[in-house]
Amino acid sequence: MNKIPLVLYVAASLVYVLHFIKCSSTAGRIATLTLITAILAHTFVLGMQTMKMGQIPFVSTTDAVSAFVWLLAMSYLYTEMTTDERAMGVLIVPLLAVLKIIPAFGEPALTKPPVLNSAWFTLHVSSLLFAYASFALACVIGITYVLLFRELKEKRLGFFYARLPPLHILDIMNGRAVTVGWIFLTIGVTIGGIWLGQVQTKSLDPRIQAMSLSDPKIFMVIICWFVYSFELYARKTIGWNGRKGAWLSAVGFAIVLLNLLPIGYFLTKSHNF
Amino acid sequence: MHLLVLGTSHHTASVDFRERVDFSRRGVPQALGALIAQVEVSEVVVLSTCNRSEIYVACEDPSRTHHSLVKFLSDFHGVPRDLLISHLYELTDIDAARHLFRVAAGLDSLVVGEPQILGQVKDAYSLASDQHHTAAVLNQLFHHSFAVGKRVRSETGLSDGAMSVSYASVLLARKIFGNLKDLSVLLIGAGEMAELTATHLRSQQVHRISVASRTDSHAEALVERIGGVKIPWTGLQAELVSADIIVTATGSASPLLTYSQIAEVIRARRNKPLFIIDIAVPRDVETEIGQIEQVFLYNIDDLRLVVSENITKRRAEVERAEIMVSEAVEKFMTWLGSRGAIPTVVALRQRFETIRRAELERLSLKLSPLSPTTRKQVDEITRLLVEKLLLAPTEQLKAISNPEAAEIHSDVMNRLFRLTEETPDRDTEDVVKDPESPTSNSKNSVIS
Repeated sequence: MNKIPLVLYVAASLVYVLHFIKCSSTAGRIATLTLITAILAHTFVLGMQTMKMGQIPFVSTTDAVSAFVWLLAMSYLYTEMTTDERAMGVLIVPLLAVLKIIPAFGEPALTKPPVLNSAWFTLHVSSLLFAYASFALACVIGITYVLLFRELKEKRLGFFYARLPPLHILDIMNGRAVTVGWIFLTIGVTIGGIWLGQVQTKSLDPRIQAMSLSDPKIFMVIICWFVYSFELYARKTIGWNGRKGAWLSAVGFAIVLLNLLPIGYFLTKSHNF
Repeated sequence: MHLLVLGTSHHTASVDFRERVDFSRRGVPQALGALIAQVEVSEVVVLSTCNRSEIYVACEDPSRTHHSLVKFLSDFHGVPRDLLISHLYELTDIDAARHLFRVAAGLDSLVVGEPQILGQVKDAYSLASDQHHTAAVLNQLFHHSFAVGKRVRSETGLSDGAMSVSYASVLLARKIFGNLKDLSVLLIGAGEMAELTATHLRSQQVHRISVASRTDSHAEALVERIGGVKIPWTGLQAELVSADIIVTATGSASPLLTYSQIAEVIRARRNKPLFIIDIAVPRDVETEIGQIEQVFLYNIDDLRLVVSENITKRRAEVERAEIMVSEAVEKFMTWLGSRGAIPTVVALRQRFETIRRAELERLSLKLSPLSPTTRKQVDEITRLLVEKLLLAPTEQLKAISNPEAAEIHSDVMNRLFRLTEETPDRDTEDVVKDPESPTSNSKNSVIS
C-alpha cells in the first residue's frame, strides 16, 4: 500500500528538480500539486493502518520512518506555502522519496505489545518524529545556506545565487527550525524518561529492561540533544550563526538519521518493537 | 484594413524634443478625443511614456492617414511640421505589429528588459478601449502584445541582473540581507559613485545612511542631496560597528580599512554579516578582509565582472525574446490576413439566409396546417442545415492568411454565389461580425 505514495514522492522529486533547473513557475505549481497528491495518498495509507491497528502506526522502526516522512512532507509543505519559496524542495522531496522506500518495501507492525498501550508512548514518539522533521528542514536549509554563501564569498554568482532566497533569511529559517526541533526533542526525551520510570518496574519485557543510557539509541539521542543545545547556545552567545550554525544542523541531522536507521534497525536492544 | 504607427522615442529624439510632443502634458484622453475628431481613423491608441510618444491606428489608407496624423501632431503640440518629421518614425502592418510587440516585451526600451513598459502599454490600451476607440484590429494587436510581453517576462531572464555597478551592489545586498529596511549604510567618501550607490540603497528604504568624508563640506553637500547624517572623520571607527553595509569611495592612496580593524568590528557585531563595497581606485579596503567569515567584500572589478556577465546573459535572452516576438507577429499577421475574406463570409451567410427565408416564405401556405411548435422546428432545421453547409467554406476562407489569395477566393465566391450586390459595408462588419475580437459579441455561429 505504501508503494503508491512512494511513486508519487518520486514523481514530485523529479518535478521539483525540473523546477529548480528551469525556474519555471508552471513546473513549480505542478511540483507542489504532485507533492500534495503524494501527501494525501500517504495520509490515506496511514489512516488505513491506524484503523487496522486501532492506533497511529509508529510501533516499529519501519512505521516510525513512514510517519517521519509524512511529518517532514507536511512541515515542508507548510514552509513552502507560508514563504512562497520552493527552492528547498529540490533537496527535501528527494529525501522523502528515498526514506519512503523503507516502508514501501518493509513490513508494518501488525500487533502492538501491551506495554506500549500508553498515551505517554504516543506523545513520546510523535514529539520525537516532529523534532526529527524540523531537524531535517534545518539541515536542508543549512546546506542551501552554505551553497549560496560559497557563491557570494567567491564572487561566482551563478546557479544558486539565481535560485535561492537571501542568505540572512536562510540563516533565520535554520535557527527557527532548530529551535522548534530542540523543543520537541526535549519534550520527547523527557516524556520517554517519565514513561520508562512508570513501566520499567512493572514490565519484564527485555526491551524495556534494556532501556538505559548504555543502549546506543538512547545514547545517541542524548548526543543529538547536546549538539542542538550547543548550536542554540552558540548562536545566541558566541555568534555561531551563518555557516557554523548550518554545519552544526547538518551534523545534528546526520546523527538523527544514523539513530533512526542503522541503529534503530540493527544495534538497539531497547527500541526494536 | 492596415496598421500604422507614428511616433517618436529615445531612439529618434532627445529628451527636449520628447518633452515637446509628450501627450501626458495635455492628457491622453484629450489627445484621443482630438484625434478621432480630426483624423479619419476607425481605431486609435495613444502610448505616452517618458521615453516615447506613439499613435497606433487601424486605417484603410496608411499614406493619407500618415499625412493627417502629422498635421494633427504638429497642431496639437505646436511643433513645426518639418521639425516633427525629422524626429518621427512611421511603420505599417507587419513592421508596426513587430514594433509594438518589441515595445511590450521591453526590447525597445532604453534599459532593455525594464518591466514597467508592459503596464504602460496596457494602460494606454485600456484608456482607448474604455472610450470605444478600439475595435477588432487594435484589440487583437494589443492583446497579442500583452501575451508576448508576459511570455518574455516569464520565460526569459531579460529583466534579471543589474546593468550598472551601483545597482549590482543593491542586488548583492538584497541577496545577503533580504530586506534592507532595518539596515544601516555607511558611506566613506562623497564622490559621484558613492552618491549613485547611496541613491540606489536609499530607494530600498534603508534605515539609516551616514556619510563620512575627510572634507567636511563634501559630506555635508552629499547629506543635503540624499539625506542621512554626517559623521565626523574621527568618529569613523565607532560608526563601523553599527553599519551593515559600508561603501568606500575615497581618493586615499593607502587602504583605509585594515584586516585587524574589521576583525575587531565583526567580533563586536557578534558575527552579523557585513557587506563592504569598495568602489575606490586605488582600493580603500585591504583584500585580506574578504577572508573574514561573514564579511562580503566586493571591489569595483568584482562588481564590473558581475555586470558584464549580466550583459552577456541578457544578450542571449534578447535573442530568445526576439524569437518570441517573431512568433507572435506571425500569429497576428495570419489573423489579420484572414480578415480579408471576412466580408465574403458574411455576404455568403446573408445570401444563404435570404434563400432560406425566401423558401420558407414560399412554402408558408403548405406549412400552415402544422402546429406552431412544428413550424418552429422546421425553421430551426433549415437554419442548422444552412450553418452546417457553410461551416467548411467559412473555415477554409478564414484560414487564408495571404491577402492576395483571400482576394482571389473572394472573387470566386462572389461569382459562384452572386454575392457582389449583397456584400455589406466593410467597416460595419469589422466591428460587428469579427469572431475573434475580444470585445465582439457576435451571434453568428457559423463564423464563430
